[in-house]
Amino acid sequence: MVAGISMAASNPSAPLLRLEEIGKSFGATKVLEAVTLSVAPGEVIGLLGENGAGKSTMMNIVAGALEPSAGRVVFADAPRRFASISEGIEAGIAFVHQELSVVGSLSVAENLFLGRMPRNRLGLVDFAAMRSASKAMLAAVGASDIDPGRLAGSLRTGEQQLVEIARAAARNPRLLILDEPTSSLTPHEVSTFLDYVRKARLAGISIIFITHRLEEAMMICDRLLVLRNGAIVSDRRPAGTTKEQIIADMTGKASLFAYSPRTNPSDKVALRVRNLADRDHVSGISLDIRQGEIFGLFGLVGAGRTELLEIIVGARTMSRGNMELFGRNHAPRTPAQALQAGVALVPEGRKTAGILPQHSVRRNASASSLRKSGGGVMVSPRGEAERTAAELKALAVRMRDDRQPITTLSGGNQQKVVFARALLSGSRLLLLDEPTHGVDIGAKSEIYEIIRRAAENGLTVIVASSELPEIIALCDRVAVLSKGRLADIVERDDMQEAHLLRLAFSEYEKQQ
Amino acid sequence: MTFDLKTLLRQREISVLLMLLAVAIYLAFATDYFLSQRNLMNVGRQASVVAIVALGQALVIIARGIDLSVGSVIGLSAVCSALVMQATGSDALALTAGLAAGLGAGLLNGAMVTRLHINPFIATLGMLSVARGIALLLTGGIPVPYSGWAEWLGAGRVSGIPVSVVMMFALVVIVHIAASRSVTGREVYAVGDNPKAARLAGIDIARTRMVVFAFSGLLAGLGGIILAGNLASADPNLGMGYELDVIAAVILGGTALSGGRGSIIGVLIGAMLMALLNNAFVLLSISAYWQVVTKGLIIILAVGIDGLRRGAETDD
Repeated sequence: MVAGISMAASNPSAPLLRLEEIGKSFGATKVLEAVTLSVAPGEVIGLLGENGAGKSTMMNIVAGALEPSAGRVVFADAPRRFASISEGIEAGIAFVHQELSVVGSLSVAENLFLGRMPRNRLGLVDFAAMRSASKAMLAAVGASDIDPGRLAGSLRTGEQQLVEIARAAARNPRLLILDEPTSSLTPHEVSTFLDYVRKARLAGISIIFITHRLEEAMMICDRLLVLRNGAIVSDRRPAGTTKEQIIADMTGKASLFAYSPRTNPSDKVALRVRNLADRDHVSGISLDIRQGEIFGLFGLVGAGRTELLEIIVGARTMSRGNMELFGRNHAPRTPAQALQAGVALVPEGRKTAGILPQHSVRRNASASSLRKSGGGVMVSPRGEAERTAAELKALAVRMRDDRQPITTLSGGNQQKVVFARALLSGSRLLLLDEPTHGVDIGAKSEIYEIIRRAAENGLTVIVASSELPEIIALCDRVAVLSKGRLADIVERDDMQEAHLLRLAFSEYEKQQ
Repeated sequence: MTFDLKTLLRQREISVLLMLLAVAIYLAFATDYFLSQRNLMNVGRQASVVAIVALGQALVIIARGIDLSVGSVIGLSAVCSALVMQATGSDALALTAGLAAGLGAGLLNGAMVTRLHINPFIATLGMLSVARGIALLLTGGIPVPYSGWAEWLGAGRVSGIPVSVVMMFALVVIVHIAASRSVTGREVYAVGDNPKAARLAGIDIARTRMVVFAFSGLLAGLGGIILAGNLASADPNLGMGYELDVIAAVILGGTALSGGRGSIIGVLIGAMLMALLNNAFVLLSISAYWQVVTKGLIIILAVGIDGLRRGAETDD
C-alpha cells in the first residue's frame, strides 16, 4: 500500500521494469531466449503470442514464480531476484492468472480478503467492514454489479475473473500483469474493465496485458509485443499497425490461418441433432452435420461446447431430444458405446483427459482399437505394432521409438498421438475439443493438415474451439453457442470474427 | 531398453528379489532347519495362498482400486464350502459353493463401486465386516470340519510338490499373460493410469472395474478353500488380517497404489518375501508380536522409498 505512494516520488522517466537478456530452459527445452524489454511507469503493454510462445513463462519470471536461467530482472531501479511470488507482491507486482483461484464455497467478500480479513474488537471477522470495502474494491475495476455477499462459486467465469482482478488491484500494485483478463467477459464488462485500465494508467500503474483479442489490444495498449518461440519478434505501436501484421508476427507464417477451399462435402447427413439438452449446460440444440464436413463449434468459456461434444460421445447424459448417426438412432450411454457406433473424441485437456501418462507412445495410440484385432480377446502384439507404427508415421509424430513413455514427447507430439488413437479406432465421426490447445506453432499447422486430410478421406469432423482464427481457418460451417443455446449456424462466407463474437455474446445481451 | 544396471535396480521387482535372496541366504546360514524339505514346503504353502489372493488384488490396485475385504471373503467362502460339503457330501458342489461365495462378494464390491459410486476403500471396508459377520452367523462361531477335495488342494502333493504351490505357479502364468496380452488386461492398466482419458478413449471402465473386483473375490474364495483344506477345518475367523499380507505382497512387488503400474511376476516375488519373513520369525524364535510390527514397517518402508524417489523426480 505504501509502495503505490512512494513510487510517484521516484524518477518518473526511468523504466519501472527492465528485463535484460532473460533466458529460461526446462531441461533441454529452451522456452525463452535473450528477452529484453523495458516498461515505463503508466505504460500499458500488450503481450501477444500463440500458446507455448513463452508468455506465461516470461510473466512468471517477472512475478517471481520462476527463476530465469540467464539474464536479470531490474524492477524499480534495482536488480531483483524474487525468491517467491509473495516477495514479488511485496515489491508491488500483482499477477492475475488465467487459471482462476477463487474459492467457490466462500463469498466474494471473503475471497477478496482471504488471508487478511478485518477483525472487530472480539477478534472475530468484521463482516460489515469487509462488505463495504469489497463494494469499493469491485467498483474500482468496474464490477459494481457483483454482490460481495454472493458465493464466489455461483459467479460466471468472467465475474470470477473480475473478482480476482479487484483483489490484485486493491493491493495498489506498481505493475499489474493480467493473463487473458477479457476472455470470458461480456462486452459491457469489457468496456467497464477497459475504463479501469485507462484510470490505472493515469495513476501511474504499469500494466502487462496478455491477450488473444487483437482488437482490444490495439485499442487499449501503448505498445504491442509479439513473442514467438521464446523470443520477442516485434515491438509495435498500435497506430499504423494492422491485424494482419500482428498475426504474421505471431505465427511466423501468414498462411497458418488461411482457409484452404475444399471439395464440397456430400449432402448426406452424418449426424442429425434435434432439440438436444442435458440437465444444466445445453438446451434446444438442433444441427445437421454433413458427411465429410469440418463443422465448427464456437462459444465463450461455459458456452457448452465441451458439454455438447460429451453428449454426442456418451460421456454426458442427454435429458431431452434425440440424435441420429448415419440414419440410425444415436443415444450412447458411455463413450465405449459411442466408439462402437463410430464416434471418437480427442478431448480437451491433453494431460487430464487425453494421455495415459504411464503408458508408452504405442499403447497410447492403440487404446481405442484394442478390440479391433485378434478376435477381441487377446491383443496381437505384432498387429498392434504395425497398425500404430503406420498411423504414427502418417501423422509425423517425432520420437525415438514408439515404446518410449508418452510423457517424454513434446506437447504437440503427445496431441498427435491422441489423434492417432482416435483415427486408429476407425470411427466415421471425429469430435475434436480444443485440438491445438497448448501446442506449438509447428504442431498446430501439422494438426490442421491432419484434420483437413481426415475430412478429405470422408471422415466427418466437429471442431470445438475458443480460438476464432482456428475456427475460421478450418471450418466449412460453424455453430455459435451462447450460454448453452444455439445462437446461429454461420456459413463460410459470413465468418467474420466480429460477427461470431457478437453471436457468442447474444444470450448475455438478452439478459442485460 | 538395454541392460543398464542402474535402471535394472530401479525396477522394484529386482530390488525385492535381491531382498528375498538376502533373507534366504541369511536364514540358510543362521539355521540348519531352513533348507530342510519340510520347511521349504511349508514356506511354499504359506506363500501360495498369499500369492493367489494377491494376484486378484494386484489387478484391483492396478485399476486404481483396493480390495480390503479379501481376508473376510477367505473366511466366508471357506465356511460356505465346508457347510455345503457337510450338507450334501458332494465335493463338486462344495467347491462350487466356496468359489461362488467369493465371486459373489467380489461382484457386490464391483457393483458398489461402479453403480453406487462408493469409494473402493469404503465399499470393501464394509464388505470386510459384512462377509466376516455372515461367516460367523452361518457357523455360530464354531469351526466346521472339512475334508475331501479341499484337503487335497490344501495339503496334497503332486510328485512331492504341494498342490497349492503348483496352482500358484499356474495362476501366475495365466494371470501374467492375461494382464499383459489380453484386451481386458490392457484396459485394466489404462483405467488405472488415467480413468478419465481411458473412459473418453472408449474403454468401458465400469465393466473393467467390475471384472477386477469379481476376479479378486473369486481368487479370495479359492484361497479360503485351500486354507480350510490345509487345516481340515473351516474356521469362520479364517483369513483374519490376511488383507495386510496380500496388499503388502502387491506393493512390495512394485505395483503402485496410484494405479496404472505393476507386474504380476512382482506379486509372486512379493508374496514369497512375505512368507519368508514369516518363516524367519518362527525359525529365529523372535516374538510373534515383533512380526506384526515388522510387517507394518516393511509396507511403510517399501512405499516410502518409492514416494521419495518419485517425489524427487516430479518436483518442479
